[in-house]
Amino acid sequence: MGIDSVGTSDAEVVRRVLAGDTGAYAALVARYRDRLARYAVHMLGNREDAEEALQDAFVRAYRSLERCDDAARFGAWLYGILVNRCRTTGARAAKRGRVFVRDDAALNGVAHASAAEQTEGEDVVRWALARLTPEYREAFLLKHVEDLEYEEMARLTGAGVSALKMRVKRAREQLQVILREAERV
Amino acid sequence: MTLHWRGLGSGLVVVTLAAGSAAAQQVDPRLERLDSVTRPIVAALVDSARATALPTEPLVQRALEGATKRAAADRIVAAVRRLALDLGHARDALGPTTSPPELAAAAAALRAGAPPAILTELRRLRRESLTVPLAVLTDLVASGVPVDSAAAAVLSLAAKSRDTDLVEFRRAVERDIALGAPPASATAAAAAVTAAAVQVNAGARQQRPGRP
Amino acid sequence: MFEADEELVGRVVRHLRRPVTVDSALDERVMEQIAHLPAHRGGGTARAAWRWLTRARTVRLSPLGALAIAAAFVVVALSRPDRFYRAAPASAREFGFVVVAPRAATVSLVGDFNDWDAARTPMQRARRDASVWTAVIPLTPGRYRYAFLVDGVSWVADPAAPVARDDEFGTPSSVVTVGGS
Repeated sequence: MGIDSVGTSDAEVVRRVLAGDTGAYAALVARYRDRLARYAVHMLGNREDAEEALQDAFVRAYRSLERCDDAARFGAWLYGILVNRCRTTGARAAKRGRVFVRDDAALNGVAHASAAEQTEGEDVVRWALARLTPEYREAFLLKHVEDLEYEEMARLTGAGVSALKMRVKRAREQLQVILREAERV
Repeated sequence: MTLHWRGLGSGLVVVTLAAGSAAAQQVDPRLERLDSVTRPIVAALVDSARATALPTEPLVQRALEGATKRAAADRIVAAVRRLALDLGHARDALGPTTSPPELAAAAAALRAGAPPAILTELRRLRRESLTVPLAVLTDLVASGVPVDSAAAAVLSLAAKSRDTDLVEFRRAVERDIALGAPPASATAAAAAVTAAAVQVNAGARQQRPGRP
Repeated sequence: MFEADEELVGRVVRHLRRPVTVDSALDERVMEQIAHLPAHRGGGTARAAWRWLTRARTVRLSPLGALAIAAAFVVVALSRPDRFYRAAPASAREFGFVVVAPRAATVSLVGDFNDWDAARTPMQRARRDASVWTAVIPLTPGRYRYAFLVDGVSWVADPAAPVARDDEFGTPSSVVTVGGS
């Protein structure tokens, strides 16, 4: 799954917004909201920060829409803005204190999916993810959860492909260490 | 037990004399949780620290930790006394205006084996609080990093790194050790990466915001 | 080094790929914000954004959704640290402590920040996973020793934190350092 799979209609909406139809932007927000929210929630570890980053990314994208060189790939471009935004929000959150996942809605178990789809250990997984460095977490999520190609990841993050491959590898190794450690307690 | 009490005796005389009239001050009510033998000795150590303008809260907390963990009286007294001495040495190394959190972190670093000269050098290099660099130094030693490697790495980062950079650095070292890297080389490698990242970030902070 | 463990990573990925939904209120916040910005070259179309915001629409809220919102309020209320603590100084930051203890009946967070009083900070079970215990407390900059007390008898160090090396009491403690920059 790429991140520009609805390219044609995106291009049309972008054209309308650039022509002055600001209201049309709502379609892009609705289209990408949940998809990007997943990345932001996992990257930042809590819903409040994630929504703030998401909102900010949408507003920034609107402001600089004229700089979106390929409107058909608006999704990928927006994704890059969010990745950047999560980096700054994450750094600010880290200053507040140790980050760990407190997705209140998920903890209540009624907001997402059906109860049958939820399995035990979800919080352990999120806890383990939160213990990766932001760089490793970012690479792992983009590769394995968002299913991006390394070349796409390189465009989004500004890192080289070989560095990203190393980060993903280390993230996988560290998750194993952390999860095995958790199982011992 | 008898030997321990005898060993503590000379220190007690000193602290009691140093405390002077302070010894008669009201005992911190939290120390009521100590048994009747331990309480007056710890109270005297706390009073002595107060009289010499050392922070007393770390001493109270160490005694309470011992009480909650049901440690023997002699171990509690020995721990508090040792911490009081470490706090004094920390202040000697860092200077009289050092904050209580810095002194507590420095005492732990000295206890981990950091030479006092390292503390003095850190003070010279870093304008911000030394609490986190000292804590990182101590934690690295606890993870098995030789004290000279840990000290060299922390000194190399102290001038320009923020607290968050130093904490990330410590986590990187601990992860690499957990993954099998030798502690000293893991420390040197992570310090080099952190130093490079700090430079990049400092550059980014100076850039004009705008393009996302 | 560990061999790649496809099954473990696969399990993590399956968890993380579950859909995450965001309330559509986010859309409205975005549109409201951009309505105040200059429109792109069409001009005068901030009104369009306002029209989008102000037009009549049906808000669908399932019973589960309503429950989620109500429950979220409850969780926020229950997790407020000042339920257990005095008001924190301005420089305090919230720190989260997490421990996995599947067989525990009670877990307390005990340390320099609460006078090593085992009654002061009982940890709460995560609602989604009963084996995970959490506590959130405000901490001012400094270095704190702490440990988890399981079932009132067993001291457990935090596997996610550095160990306190100067441990004179024969049971493990951990260290958390709170920075200021």
